[in-house]
Amino acid sequence: MSENPFPLEKDALLAAYRRMKTIREFEERLHVDFGRGEIPGFVHLYAGEEAAGVGIMMHLKDHDRIASTHRGHGHCIAKGVDPADMMAEIYGKSTGSCAGKGGSMHIADLSKGMMGANGILGAGAPLACGAALAAQKLGHDGVAITFFGDGASNQGTVLESMNLAAIWNLPAIFVVENNGYAESTSVDYAVASDSYVDRATGFGMPGITVDGTDFFAVYEAAGEVIRRAREGGGPSLLECKMIRFFGHFEGDAQTYRAPGENEDNRAHRDCIKMYRAKIVDSGVIDNDELDAIDAEVMTVIEDAVQHAMSSPMPGLSDLTTDVYVSY
Amino acid sequence: MSKVGIIANPVSARDIRRIVSHAGNLPINDRANIVLRLLTGLSAVGVEDVLVMPENGGIRHHLMRSLDRETRMGSSRFPGVSYLDMKVTCTAEDSAEAARQMREEGVGAIVVLGGDGTNRVVVSQCGDIPVAGVSTGTNNAFPEVREPTITGLAVGLAVTAQVPPEHAFCLNKLLEVTINQVRDIALVDVAVVAERFVGARAIWKTESFRDLFVTYGLPEGIGMSSIVGLLAPLDRATPEGRRVCLRPVEQTDWHIAAPIAPGLIKVVGIGSVETLKAGVPYKPGIGAGSIALDGEREITFDDSDDVAIGLRTDAFRTVSVPDCMTYAAQHGVMNRGARHAFRSAQKEEILK
Repeated sequence: MSENPFPLEKDALLAAYRRMKTIREFEERLHVDFGRGEIPGFVHLYAGEEAAGVGIMMHLKDHDRIASTHRGHGHCIAKGVDPADMMAEIYGKSTGSCAGKGGSMHIADLSKGMMGANGILGAGAPLACGAALAAQKLGHDGVAITFFGDGASNQGTVLESMNLAAIWNLPAIFVVENNGYAESTSVDYAVASDSYVDRATGFGMPGITVDGTDFFAVYEAAGEVIRRAREGGGPSLLECKMIRFFGHFEGDAQTYRAPGENEDNRAHRDCIKMYRAKIVDSGVIDNDELDAIDAEVMTVIEDAVQHAMSSPMPGLSDLTTDVYVSY
Repeated sequence: MSKVGIIANPVSARDIRRIVSHAGNLPINDRANIVLRLLTGLSAVGVEDVLVMPENGGIRHHLMRSLDRETRMGSSRFPGVSYLDMKVTCTAEDSAEAARQMREEGVGAIVVLGGDGTNRVVVSQCGDIPVAGVSTGTNNAFPEVREPTITGLAVGLAVTAQVPPEHAFCLNKLLEVTINQVRDIALVDVAVVAERFVGARAIWKTESFRDLFVTYGLPEGIGMSSIVGLLAPLDRATPEGRRVCLRPVEQTDWHIAAPIAPGLIKVVGIGSVETLKAGVPYKPGIGAGSIALDGEREITFDDSDDVAIGLRTDAFRTVSVPDCMTYAAQHGVMNRGARHAFRSAQKEEILK
């Protein structure tokens, strides 16, 4: 075995691969099952964007909180939410992470620091400010990260949150997942200030751009951003440029894409393929170890689907529970 | 030949050095404004055509908005602006492709907005076309800090031959790095670091610094070349380079505090300093690591790779802005109106 050239130990390299692969297979399976009409509501898939979510979340602990988006499955898995609970939630079953009442866009697991996917664009940013303020007041080293897309970046909530985070020096990190399209509108058209980093500058916080398809680039950049926040350095913005393999939602005809764009992305810009090639080429990990993970992941996903399908729907009496919080 | 190329890549100066050091961010609208000021300078001395790299980061939108407004207001202070027909990838590769196309188009010079990294990419592809850097990057050891209007004037005077080539252009050194016959270049510095992955590219962890090769190092320089600038300075013209073997600080008593990035002054351990001779291949001081070209990790290597670093003199041309403007002043190139009378008066003044 060669000496490990990477900034993660071998176990962590394998864990990162497992998380990315779990996200990919989870989404690929949903793509198929949604097409069959098995799943209620809408799903927005994270396939292709795994390196960003996992590269960031590898630095986080359970007391670090994240606020996700409508495209939240990847963030959930990367943050440690159980795929079987998630699958049941997406199927609307009572065994789901939120007892089947939330569905794809409202998966949450506070025990893992996952404050929720969110059906409202830009709504995660104020939540992250709240969590960051809590960490600051409680005096622990927790950070809060909000993810949003290039479309949601134009929401007032995001800009107000950046202002608040800056003036209170919160340990909040604003991650722009820029996959080039706000639903179907190209960023070229819809983002007037041209650069997300320029927006950070406007609030007096540093902003950087990183290749979101390169796990190690994200991992290293996120590490510095998170370290800065933990040490009291305040908020910052991290723009990850990434690739979305599927449409905005399942069923999106994607007429806004160039011919062959999806095929080219899958062939040449697949972040998991690139990660796998790097760790195998280094001689630290061999293909057999990764193939074994692939097989285990397939079993996890199949088990999750079976669990979801065989679980009961919420009953009528569940309609009146979880409506109000008792303190 | 009066066509000039401009490369302003919005992805430059966006990297992690805004977090690990205090590097600034030049907003897109300011970058567009710099292009506008360049255009006024170029136009004022007779450049009629400017070819610009396309991008979708917003510079073009801002520039076109400004040019439309100026045209509506009756201004004729701008040359014709056209954009290259190329696919935009939103990466540094756009700068390389634009440089290739501008070379084929036969522009007289290429003006580059960026720092050491962007200039490196352009020089790697532009052949014998002279470049003129406008410092908008993270580290600006190569491009000099100057008002872009003046750079526009000087480049215009150079490409229209109002300043003769022997005054307008100067030759520069570069470092060639070959790994298993694959060649790359650096304009200012090649740093060898112990980290064996590329990751977020920038280098700032001094404990991993092992070897440094520079074409020049000025005492007032920024970035890795400042180490040489403070130890054993070397100017841009002298036909030699410098090599500094770097050590973790605990392994040597020879330390120097150097500004290795904007707002980041670090103590670096020094092993030895030697002169680099042109045309001689040098091996890196460690068997495995990565190579940072002008401040960014680009290539990893290990014992199985054949790595050589060499200095080339007279390797590429730049527009010498101070020399162009000095020539223009001495020869009255910018004089207008009662030119003869003014020049006579100037001479009389000098003769006094």
